[in-house]
Amino acid sequence: MAFGWGVQMSNPESFGPPIRSEFAGDPDMLELVEEFVRELPGRAASLSASYDQGEIESVTRLTHQLSGACGGYGFGEIGEVARDLECRLKKMGSAAELLTVREQVDELVSMCSRVVV
Amino acid sequence: MTESGNNTTEFTRHRVLIIDDAEDVHRLLGARLKQERLELLSALDGRTALEMAREQDPSLVLLDLDMPGMDGFEVLRHLKASDETHEIPVIVLSGLQSPADKVTAFDLGAVDYITKPFDLMELRVRVRSALKMADLINMLAQRAHIDGLTGLYNRIAFDERWAQSTAENQRHAKPLSLAIFDLDHFKSINDTYGHPAGDEALRTFARLLQRECRQSDVPCRFGGEEFVLIMPETGPDAAAAVCNRIREALEAIEWPAHPERRVTVSCGVLGADNTATISPSDWVQATDEQLYAAKNGGRNRVMVSRADRADQSLRQTG
Ligand SMILES: [Mg+2]
Repeated sequence: MAFGWGVQMSNPESFGPPIRSEFAGDPDMLELVEEFVRELPGRAASLSASYDQGEIESVTRLTHQLSGACGGYGFGEIGEVARDLECRLKKMGSAAELLTVREQVDELVSMCSRVVV
Repeated sequence: MTESGNNTTEFTRHRVLIIDDAEDVHRLLGARLKQERLELLSALDGRTALEMAREQDPSLVLLDLDMPGMDGFEVLRHLKASDETHEIPVIVLSGLQSPADKVTAFDLGAVDYITKPFDLMELRVRVRSALKMADLINMLAQRAHIDGLTGLYNRIAFDERWAQSTAENQRHAKPLSLAIFDLDHFKSINDTYGHPAGDEALRTFARLLQRECRQSDVPCRFGGEEFVLIMPETGPDAAAAVCNRIREALEAIEWPAHPERRVTVSCGVLGADNTATISPSDWVQATDEQLYAAKNGGRNRVMVSRADRADQSLRQTG
């Protein structure tokens, strides 16, 4: 392992261009966006962990919250991914079907790990 | 409460209850609505929200449809089913919902919807417009109870207040009196000096009535030149004293345009120190009979009788 990668080393999927908030320049929003950005990796980690455990309810709840919030904080692109995932999760009859959304979950987790103000 | 205007809403902060299971949404709306001078209340689930709606009486509810447990539709149904909350306007915050869901929300009584993620300007104008509409509705409801000429309560308001007052008297044997005033020779005032002078006499008497009665008294314009005064916690003797003060104050007024003319008023009072023995409508009727006795007795006087005894003796005071 190389030096200096910090925490991101633990999640190789998070490599990619940083995702910036559309509201970074809005002084009303700056503090909120900063807080959201601080919390987002933790939320992505919970989502990832719930998914690995096959906990469909908490995967759905976390995704629902991201789909409602991301757009509002200026991360519309992430919001849309979360929204599509949420739609699919809501149609699922059992936790076994979680396997069918592996890619989207990974993509969402990855995007959440790349946010910056 | 006898103020005729309703300018208070302009100066009070509207209370808005936000119901959403996602804390992010509350923070976001807090920032987005910061400049709107609103008092924001937050509920993260339906049960808490319903309790808060009942206790805090918000001017507007912003309601997320998609919540675990009790969802937004169910919250909306409960809000609209309860007398305490059914008049609160509700704007639905919709995320994934289909047009059919939005239609359902409107059918259930929502006034508008806002799609997530929120567009800043859209959010603000929709909130503003819902609050403005709510203010107008409140104002109209209040106006329906106010007499346009005098600013006093009108007959509709009287009927409600009288029903409440007589129920109190029945339940707790609390003293209660009713007075009916009728301006003397009002037709001749109109005929001699014109209708504007008649209106001025009505307005002056209304102001005087408001000034001379006590805080808990409820003055109303009954119609035409007839006014009523509900006097809670007041027996017939004290009521007669109040009414005589009013009668004397009117008689003492000098009318700048017509110094030769005095306007006077006749008054009938029916009061009870204990539980009344007559129905609320008979009470009004019997008070009216006292008024006629005052008119027949020569006007500019107060006639008083009791509503809590069989021997309703007729007395003239003042
Ligand atoms: Mg929700």
